[in-house]
Amino acid sequence: MEKSIYQKLKLGIFVLTGITFFVIAIWLIGSKQNLFGNSSDLYAVFNNVNGLKTGNNIRCSGIKVGTVKSIQMINDTFIVVKMSVESDITKHIKTDAKAVITTDGLVGNMIVNILPGAGSQTTLQSGDTLRSFSRIRTDEMLNTLSVTNENAALLTAELLKITKEISSGKGIVGAIIKDSTITDDVKQTLHFLRKTSYESSIAIKNVNNLVSSLNKKDNLLGVIRDTALSNQIKNIVSNIEKSSQDIETVINNLNTTITSANSTIENVKDGKGVINYLSNDATLVKKIDHTVSNLDSAMIKINTAGIKLNDNLEALKHNWLLRGYYKNLEKEKEKEKIKKK
Amino acid sequence: MSENKSNISWLNSFLIETGELAYFTGRFFKEVFRRPFEFKEFLKQCYNVGNKSLLLVGITGFIIGLVFTLQSRPKMMELGAESWLPSMVSISIIREIGPIITALICAGKIGSGIGAELGSMRVTEQIDAMEVSGTNPFKYLVVTRILATTFMIPLLVIMGDAIALFGSFLIENIKGDVSFTLYFNEVFNSLDFSDFTPSTIKTFFFGFAIGLVGCYKGYYTKHGTAGVGVSANSAVVEASIVLFIIDFVAVLIADIFYSV
Repeated sequence: MEKSIYQKLKLGIFVLTGITFFVIAIWLIGSKQNLFGNSSDLYAVFNNVNGLKTGNNIRCSGIKVGTVKSIQMINDTFIVVKMSVESDITKHIKTDAKAVITTDGLVGNMIVNILPGAGSQTTLQSGDTLRSFSRIRTDEMLNTLSVTNENAALLTAELLKITKEISSGKGIVGAIIKDSTITDDVKQTLHFLRKTSYESSIAIKNVNNLVSSLNKKDNLLGVIRDTALSNQIKNIVSNIEKSSQDIETVINNLNTTITSANSTIENVKDGKGVINYLSNDATLVKKIDHTVSNLDSAMIKINTAGIKLNDNLEALKHNWLLRGYYKNLEKEKEKEKIKKK
Repeated sequence: MSENKSNISWLNSFLIETGELAYFTGRFFKEVFRRPFEFKEFLKQCYNVGNKSLLLVGITGFIIGLVFTLQSRPKMMELGAESWLPSMVSISIIREIGPIITALICAGKIGSGIGAELGSMRVTEQIDAMEVSGTNPFKYLVVTRILATTFMIPLLVIMGDAIALFGSFLIENIKGDVSFTLYFNEVFNSLDFSDFTPSTIKTFFFGFAIGLVGCYKGYYTKHGTAGVGVSANSAVVEASIVLFIIDFVAVLIADIFYSV
């Protein structure tokens, strides 16, 4: 009898454990599908559901918030998706939220993703319809990819042609690769370029030094930059300007003089006046020459005569007859000097 | 000529056995709702079927979970789908491996046990004695056993599944640092009622088939004590075949109801 009770107890534990596991499994799977919690129904209209199935997950900001309850086709462009969303979450979904069908991972199930709105809008109520938009579909993507592939094939064919030509040495690139002289030339050019750049760097250094020295006052540019000196230079320039004006008047006067001289010369050329006679008559010149020589001899004679007269006058001064006269003359001269003083 | 005759006799015996099994099933359904209910014997059989098989089912399930995860893990890692391992293991175990392995083990242990027990009772004329003493042997021996297997096998399967998943979690935890919460979240995220319901319903049929075949083989044991061994052996073999047939049919039906 005791054994029987013990057996019953063990059987009871076994059955209860089994049923507990069963209930837990049902609960966990059921809660995943919102069978036991409070849920609200939301709707979204799509024109293509991309293989969405009843029971697929609904996500809002990455959190699983519910499942797809039903999918109903209204007409060829409208498919209504009824979604069962947890009531606690519904208050966070605004009226401007959008529903979009995407895949869970790269090859996962389709899911409905609810993208939250701006936040200032009013919240959705059970039975409301969400706005929706369709992302680019895989088949559309594949179509685009096939076009891209065709283009890529064409491009590679062209590239193949180009590379063949290059490898056979055609064109500039081919010549660069194949022709060794070009390589030498390029090497040489590079060598010279390096040299030039080295020298130009030295030159630039010198220019830099020059420019920095210009800032000092011990050179021409520094002097030019000196304001006091520049004022002096300004004065000089203004003086030069004045002088040039004066020179201009002088030149004008000279011009008038020259014109009058010109007219005089013209008169002379025409044979008018004494000058023309003097310059043009040869006999007169001879006569004048002769007269001058005569005058010279006469002047010599006069000089000798003068010297002789001086001697005579000296002799007279010392003559007792005329000595008194000369003394009086000297006295009068001294008197005049005193008066002047 | 003799070969042809033997073929005909084999077919004949197969058809006769199928017919007898059908009668046996019909008799079970006729007796099951008829008073008196042998409740005490039913509980005893439940204990024999459930409690006494739990250790075997537990160990098998645990090892299956370990081995299955260990075997799939390298390939899944190669594909970079390590995070899908809990989903894959749980779906395989809940949908197919758990029920069928548990049922096969039970067919081996319980089916052969019932076959041998009833067979020895038949050859020692205990069943005849029961009939003479006024007790309905079918009701007392067969109905209680079939009911016990029908109700205990599903519980054993659920426990076996849980233990197998735990074994799988241990490997994931040791090899891949996956927490208990994460593992079981992954498991129940990937599971659906379409995985759980058909596999649970079919285990009732598994239990029923094991009890039915075992009881039938034992109840109709012939040829003395040598027949007891044959009954026990054929109970296991036929029950296993029937299990696979039921599994196939169950999957077909589940596919109709849960097809997408």
